[in-house]
Amino acid sequence: MSPTATPATMGAGGTPVDSPAARARRRITLQEAALPAVVVVLLVAGTLADRDAFLTRDNLLTVLTQVSVTGVVAVGMTFVIATGGIDLSVGSMLAAASIAGGLVGEQQSAPFMLGAIGFGVLLGLVNGVAIAYGRIVPFIATLAMFAGARGLALWMSDKTPISLLRLDVVRELGRGDVASIPKAALVFLAVAGGGWVLLNRTRYGRHVVAVGGNREAARMSGIRPTTVVLSVYVLSGLCVGIAAVLLSGRLGSASPVSGNLLELDAIAAVVIGGTSLAGGRASVTGTFLGVITFGLVFNILNILDMPTELQQLSRGVIILAAAALQRRDR
Amino acid sequence: MTAAVPPNGAPSPGRRADTGTAVAPADRPASGAVAGRPVLSVRGLVKDYPGVRALDGVDFDVAAGQVHCVVGQNGAGKSTLIKCIAGVVVPTAGEVLVEGVPLPPGDPAAALARGIATIYQELDLVDDLPVADNLFLGHERRRGVLLDRPGSRRRARELLARLGHADIDPRRLVGELRPAAKQVVSVARALTRDARLLVMDEPSAVLDGHEIEAMFAVVRRLAAEGVGVVYISHRLEEVAAVGDTITVLRDGRTVATGLPPSTGRADLIAAMVGRQFTEVFPDRDPDHTLGPVMLAVDGLARRGVVADVSFEVRAGEVVGLGGLVGAGRTEVLRLILGVDRPDAGTVTVDGKALPPGRPSAAIRAGVGLAPEERKSQGLWPGWDLVRNVSIADLRRFRRHVLLDRRAERRAVADRLADLRTVPADPDRLVTELSGGNQQKVVLARWLLRQCRVLLLDEPTRGIDVSAKAEIYRAVRSLADAGIAVVLVSSELAELAGLCDRVVVMADGRVTATLPAAEATEAAILAHALPEGAAAP
Repeated sequence: MSPTATPATMGAGGTPVDSPAARARRRITLQEAALPAVVVVLLVAGTLADRDAFLTRDNLLTVLTQVSVTGVVAVGMTFVIATGGIDLSVGSMLAAASIAGGLVGEQQSAPFMLGAIGFGVLLGLVNGVAIAYGRIVPFIATLAMFAGARGLALWMSDKTPISLLRLDVVRELGRGDVASIPKAALVFLAVAGGGWVLLNRTRYGRHVVAVGGNREAARMSGIRPTTVVLSVYVLSGLCVGIAAVLLSGRLGSASPVSGNLLELDAIAAVVIGGTSLAGGRASVTGTFLGVITFGLVFNILNILDMPTELQQLSRGVIILAAAALQRRDR
Repeated sequence: MTAAVPPNGAPSPGRRADTGTAVAPADRPASGAVAGRPVLSVRGLVKDYPGVRALDGVDFDVAAGQVHCVVGQNGAGKSTLIKCIAGVVVPTAGEVLVEGVPLPPGDPAAALARGIATIYQELDLVDDLPVADNLFLGHERRRGVLLDRPGSRRRARELLARLGHADIDPRRLVGELRPAAKQVVSVARALTRDARLLVMDEPSAVLDGHEIEAMFAVVRRLAAEGVGVVYISHRLEEVAAVGDTITVLRDGRTVATGLPPSTGRADLIAAMVGRQFTEVFPDRDPDHTLGPVMLAVDGLARRGVVADVSFEVRAGEVVGLGGLVGAGRTEVLRLILGVDRPDAGTVTVDGKALPPGRPSAAIRAGVGLAPEERKSQGLWPGWDLVRNVSIADLRRFRRHVLLDRRAERRAVADRLADLRTVPADPDRLVTELSGGNQQKVVLARWLLRQCRVLLLDEPTRGIDVSAKAEIYRAVRSLADAGIAVVLVSSELAELAGLCDRVVVMADGRVTATLPAAEATEAAILAHALPEGAAAP
């Protein structure tokens, strides 16, 4: 088994007692605890603002449902950013995927879902090939897709939304409940849970972060960075496809102008969640909490009847604060 | 370093010959230089880095108009010396005097202002700017607030003509110039600041024979004008051709200075090697027998880097790759692993040819590399030891699709313990470990992967002496366990003490293959020094 053996020191199963390691772990824990703390503060603030309207099961589930589209996209975005990349095209791809689904499945749910998700994966593959094999900088490649996919959506739909009112299953996914829990929220939770397992508990997830953290070292350890990079854009496309189904179901139509500014919301959630834009450090939990944070802030501002401009402003403040927090931790 | 007593008293300028050097220091030849106060005096220079003493008492003087050559093997302290003179690095002790006045330590601007110009190996020119703009970068000629472009071009033309290179057009982009012309531009740039002392670090490294001659002409011209030149090189032929006097560095100290350029090659090599290495190398297991050929490299070539490199390594054998920095050793390792793609040649592991340019395939076949740039190529600094070690072999811990993290952690802990890593706690961040233990983390990765061919690139660089001995022991035990080891090292003693065989390279080619009995430090160095690119 192991070529060398120095019996004297063998079998140190490792019971960590040394303080620096413990300190290091505590430091990380603190960093990861910051965002949950923010969420708790927001819950308290919302309760103080309007106990009756805010702290109800329905309201909180509404928040979860409202963020489900952004949330699903943000989970995919987490993997992209973990490799040191970026995907600016998610909003446009979402519109194109919805339209593609609508074109093949205006009458039936199954073709619609397959069409939307399949087209999302296809566009993600185009991004991935351009970046991994075409060696185009992710920012530029996905900027091109940002423009191109929107044009594609408008062109394919002849600039008109496609009604999906007859698609019962899709409508249910967007608006229905299971045991009085919205299905869209359940889909988001499932995607987030799946993303967490994929990132933290599989070989693939380890490779994603390895490529983002040190591409050269990854290559010298037998990982194929091009394959990994390609895959994360496909994964992002897959998440976009799922989000397209959720949004279309909620709206009852596939719109070529949907998903506007979605990329900014998703990136913001990922970044305040502690995933490093430079790659190599990623947290699906953080992304989940980031999405929830934005959702709660808007919900509270809504309850307080604040103007929408303030919502935008608060988003800016949150991003800046989170970035500053992370900088201190580095 | 052992018994390193820095010469804090008043060291005698000029000469220092200790530990039985074969070379008798001669009086400095006047060589037509301006007599009187030296342009540059280095006095008792000491520089400590954590765990390593890079300079340990350097003394010499450079007269105006003198071309002063500094030679020494890799790690002798040449680069640190240059940085101290240029003010980039603050010395631990000692001082640098320019025309008798001490230079404020660690102040590159002051060094420049006092007329010290340094030309580093990697030329610090901006490729996308024209020659003239490069010459005046940082002290642009202006008329009012606007750049005086015609004036800069005129002055550039004068300077280039003064160096005998009126053929270089000041309007051309530096990126379009050949290496030799770039070097001339660097020298000209030094002159825009009225340099009185020019420090050149391995200026010939990127030049061919004819270009080297042209550069010599530039150097001689400057010296004739009274500029002092410190010429750092490991090409002894050049030293004889262009130098007025020679200083030899070894282990960070001046072991001889004021040698005449006629000093024999053998004497210089003896002065450069000279010492008795104190590290303890592990004994070979007397019963140790070598297995079959595990790694065969045949005719490996990559244009401009290496040519026709062939050698074999058997299971259980440690084969050293010796040579100077730039000889192509690291490149050979990268070609074997497939990080770079060879233009020609094959790599065979255990009888099977590897597909070129595919590290993942090479690793599957049992090859592992511990790269020279540990931090940037070998480790994930933000990760704990578990993830750093297991990354190359996660498949082993896959249960269905998920990773069995408990088994992963246990296996990593065992491998770290095998190598006596301190601390062996696998939850530590790798950055909390010392350099030697970080190296063990990389070794543990390949130990876990059960690699059969291990490529080690300068595994003890930047590591203190006791940690080195630990690494040596680890390497030896890996070989005893049947792994074929290729060891690239710039430390001659390491090659001589640890390897079963040493393949020596110079200028991208294999110049000798020495069995352990013949692989003395002097023999390795003699084959590593490139032969007469520019004979006198």
